[in-house]
Amino acid sequence: MDFRWEIVIEYLPFFMRGLGYTILASLIGFVVGAIIGLVIGMGKSLSNPILKLPFIWYVNIFRGTPLLVQIFLIHFAVMPIFIKPPEPLISLIVALALNSAAYIAEIFRAGINSIDKGQREAAYSLGMSHAQVLRHVVLPQAFKRMIPPLGNEFIVLVKDSSLGAVIAAPELFYWGKVAVGSYSRVWEPYLSVAVLYFVVCLVLSYVQSFLERKYATDDQRKKFKKVVRRARGAEGH
Amino acid sequence: MKTVKKLIAVTGLFSVLFLSACVSNNESSGSGEETLTFGTEATFAPFESMKGDEVVGFDADLLDAIMKEAGLNYEFDNTGWDPMLVGVKDESLAGGAAGITITDERKETYDFSAPYFEAMQTIATTEGTDIQSAEDIKGMKIGVQNGTTGDIAAQQIVGDNSTDISKYESSAATMMALQNGDVEVVITDNGVAQHYVKNNPDANITLIDDKDSFEQEYYGILLPKGSEHKEAIDEAIQTIMENGTYEEIYQEWFEGTPDIEALESAQP
Repeated sequence: MDFRWEIVIEYLPFFMRGLGYTILASLIGFVVGAIIGLVIGMGKSLSNPILKLPFIWYVNIFRGTPLLVQIFLIHFAVMPIFIKPPEPLISLIVALALNSAAYIAEIFRAGINSIDKGQREAAYSLGMSHAQVLRHVVLPQAFKRMIPPLGNEFIVLVKDSSLGAVIAAPELFYWGKVAVGSYSRVWEPYLSVAVLYFVVCLVLSYVQSFLERKYATDDQRKKFKKVVRRARGAEGH
Repeated sequence: MKTVKKLIAVTGLFSVLFLSACVSNNESSGSGEETLTFGTEATFAPFESMKGDEVVGFDADLLDAIMKEAGLNYEFDNTGWDPMLVGVKDESLAGGAAGITITDERKETYDFSAPYFEAMQTIATTEGTDIQSAEDIKGMKIGVQNGTTGDIAAQQIVGDNSTDISKYESSAATMMALQNGDVEVVITDNGVAQHYVKNNPDANITLIDDKDSFEQEYYGILLPKGSEHKEAIDEAIQTIMENGTYEEIYQEWFEGTPDIEALESAQP
């Protein structure tokens, strides 16, 4: 089959630049989303039903509408109020941040709720304050459990950033579409773009499992490894 | 476990029902004879746009007249621009009618019908932007519809893959970007730009023609290489131009009279 490599080569610099924007947009979107998500997650855990209402509805709205629709609304209706003229890349980042915040809020909430309440009770009985319990007992354990879903969310976000092409944010998929537009060939540009997304997401999933191992505190495996290493070292001498 | 099995069974049943409904639908519309499917990108008013779930516009009416004249069954689907190009290339579509300019590059991959419309690129901008000619748009943010002749024209002025050019999926998205301030100028076909200005008088959009920078273009119906229907379609186009049907359709969508002689003698 004829695969025109020259199209890939010609557009590779644009794909790489697009990839840079893709990573930038998803990274900023994720970090900002995590900060907002933390606030929303805490808000949703409030005991006052009226105070927690806005946080519940934030999640309902952003999880209940398609990201694509949110991107259009944010770019054409919301951003023009703040920035004139609106910048597609910024609109994309804002959309990714607000959208991921809803999911991250749920991840935080689930992580915190998953810690047995006996842990909290024990800490309180030691005389720890509310903040201390959260900081030293609940969050360290909860964070470990949040790594897989957070990694998942980030990978989803990297791929979802391709929706920015509809408002001509110059990310990776946008340049794929441009190459298709100028050659009327779909195979070469879209396959190249897919490979680049795949490589990024693959690296990210390895980063995730590295973090999982690093923060693993149920030390069974680590202890076992240490024992094995020591035993081997002893044999060697 | 039992509920899971039930769920799977019910889902399976629904998919089978849905699929068979789709299949029978396709068969019924064929009514014995072969139905040719034509693709389009229906955000290109007045040439094609959607009204409800139907494609309407100059191209839709013209295609209807052509197919009636040629005695062919057809369907006109809003496939989108890229899928239309791909579909015609691999012959899953019989053709495409979407205000498609006949160009040498496209002729390498496709066949075209006889030209049926004369067009030219124009610069659309919001009032107050100082532009006299196509040269003045250098350094400005330019919006175009991806892969169209407006895209090609813009790249000829400011350079291939210039980052000053933003490329959009549809003509509608391009004009929306102009109003939103994402871009300062839009380069698009004059018929579409005039229609937009007429329908959005509050948008304060001005059009600048530059006959020295932009070439005369001709629209043709996009066909697969070696299409067996090309002859019948070309003959039908000639017939409706001569018997006045073309002029009738033209006046329904545009002002003035078409220059049929120029179209018939054009060799794009």
